Amino acid sequence: MSTIFWEISKRNIRIHMLRSSLAMLGIIIGVVAIASMGILGNSMVQAVSASLSSVGDSVIVMPYVGGGNAFGGHSGTSSANMYLTEQNYQQIKRVVAPNLAVPVHTTSEHMKMGVGSDDIVATIYGLPPDQTKNILPDLTAGDYNNGNSGCLVGATFATDHNVKVGSRISVGPDGQYGTLRVTGIIKERGMSLDISTDNAIVVTQDWFENTYNDQYQYNEVVVKVTSGDTATVKTTVENQLNRNIRDKTVTVIDSKATLATIMETFGMITTFVTAIGGISMLVAGVSIFNIMMMSVNERIKEIGIMRSIGTQKKEVMSMFIYEAAIIGVAGSVIGGVLSLVGGYAISALLLKTTQYLFTLPSMLSVVEGIGFGIIICILCGLYPAWQAANLNPIDALRHE
Amino acid sequence: MTPDTLAGGDQPVLVFRDVVKVYPLPAGDVTALDRVSFTVDRGEFISIMGPSGSGKSTLLNLMGCLDTPTSGDIFIGGTRIGDMSDVELTNLRRDHIGFIFQYFNLFPLLNVIENVNFPQMLKSGAAVDEKKAVAVLRAVRLDEHLYVHTPLELSGGQQQRVAIARALINDPDILLCDEPTGNLDSKTGASIMELMADLNRNGTTIIVVTHDPSVASYTRRTIRIVDGRIES
Repeated sequence: MSTIFWEISKRNIRIHMLRSSLAMLGIIIGVVAIASMGILGNSMVQAVSASLSSVGDSVIVMPYVGGGNAFGGHSGTSSANMYLTEQNYQQIKRVVAPNLAVPVHTTSEHMKMGVGSDDIVATIYGLPPDQTKNILPDLTAGDYNNGNSGCLVGATFATDHNVKVGSRISVGPDGQYGTLRVTGIIKERGMSLDISTDNAIVVTQDWFENTYNDQYQYNEVVVKVTSGDTATVKTTVENQLNRNIRDKTVTVIDSKATLATIMETFGMITTFVTAIGGISMLVAGVSIFNIMMMSVNERIKEIGIMRSIGTQKKEVMSMFIYEAAIIGVAGSVIGGVLSLVGGYAISALLLKTTQYLFTLPSMLSVVEGIGFGIIICILCGLYPAWQAANLNPIDALRHE
Repeated sequence: MTPDTLAGGDQPVLVFRDVVKVYPLPAGDVTALDRVSFTVDRGEFISIMGPSGSGKSTLLNLMGCLDTPTSGDIFIGGTRIGDMSDVELTNLRRDHIGFIFQYFNLFPLLNVIENVNFPQMLKSGAAVDEKKAVAVLRAVRLDEHLYVHTPLELSGGQQQRVAIARALINDPDILLCDEPTGNLDSKTGASIMELMADLNRNGTTIIVVTHDPSVASYTRRTIRIVDGRIES
């Protein structure tokens, strides 16, 4: 770096402090917009991924309910497909082997935690006791339920209704389906695509079938994929069970692909809001371009003198690029610091949490904002600098 | 083909040989210089005089390597400038020519000592010989307390002394002056011309472009130019 040109650039910024500060303000706003939006988007993605369970590798098979009978063309499809049959389950089990297929009953039910407590409605899952362990997360307290009078409860359910191991829950309107004893509390697993246990209770398959008299009628079958990938399992199940294209039996959801789609969508939202921030950066870039052009126009004679006494074009160019870079670096760094404040405020207001502020993706947004600010400034300084360097020294010397 | 250097050890510092400069304009070509030839030997003190539009500025631009001739040859320090690239011409200006302008043309953002050091920094990158800057400022008789002042805090005469010091800092072959007293009162102008005469006595080659006969009176040879041709 040639010290003298660096020095001239610094001094020129200093003597035009107001103009330089205004240009810097534009960059600060641009960086704050980009980085804050990035922080918001990334915090949103992280918040969503934290609330989604790590179901990761499961495939959910549900009865096909879409289309077919909308105009009476093929009546009966809908009612026939309310549940998966035992035959469907056995077929699924066979085609996904050696992966585990777990039949799931589910319904909503009235329940009470004790005498005098409010009547609530919550989800009940009925699972085969021998497979419960395989598709549920670990327990935070108690044991898995093997008897028909016991149940497991989700973490949120337990907290909200003050339920502990040993508590009793009476099920059904006025407790008509009897009382279940809580044997264990299921660890929080977040929103999931197969079984959302956080706000539900889990009973045995037998209890469920006896209580609701719907033996061999499953709401869904969850396949835990341990061998092969979820996409292949999904395709296999579809090929086997939906042979009749006009009368499909099942809808198959690949949880991994669905999660990926959700994350992709949030990623797109992040990109979109960051791009909105980018517009303010472009406006800031235009103002940098403008003040650099002004700087060049004011100093045409000075450039002419420099060139006439032996300053190379590249040295003239460097002087103006330094000027743009100083404004860019100073503005971007200040903007980066302020964007943490902005990101904090936006996260606190919109997401009601700031726990994702000092995470790697959020910090990367700040770094990206700073980098983008510096690059925009230097790019916007390039043309004016090039123009200055290529002035004809004779014409520049004559300029008044 | 013309050789790129002049033969011989003690070459003239500046040679113009049949130099023609034509400016192509939409209304027709304008010949600013027409077969101009002259030689400037080391240690000479020359004035170039002529009325407005005679070709003085064109001559000055060519001598200062700010422009190249349409035809003919110009040698500076024995090197032909005709086919030089912009980078080479710029280096030639930096190392061999000292410019002095009518309006002093110092850099307002730099103080006196930085202005004088500027060409030195161009030549060396960053390192400068501060003692040399002080020495040339003493040679142009500028008070030491003014060294840290900016040009706008100096009088016209003081600014021109700084400009002369800046032109001398890289030990140029030629000091090229464009109306050096044109913006000074007669007393200050006279002191500047006396300073130049002193520098010339100490061996500096000086060419002054002027239309002022009193300036020309300090020089030892005058080249008169009229309508792009040398008269005498």
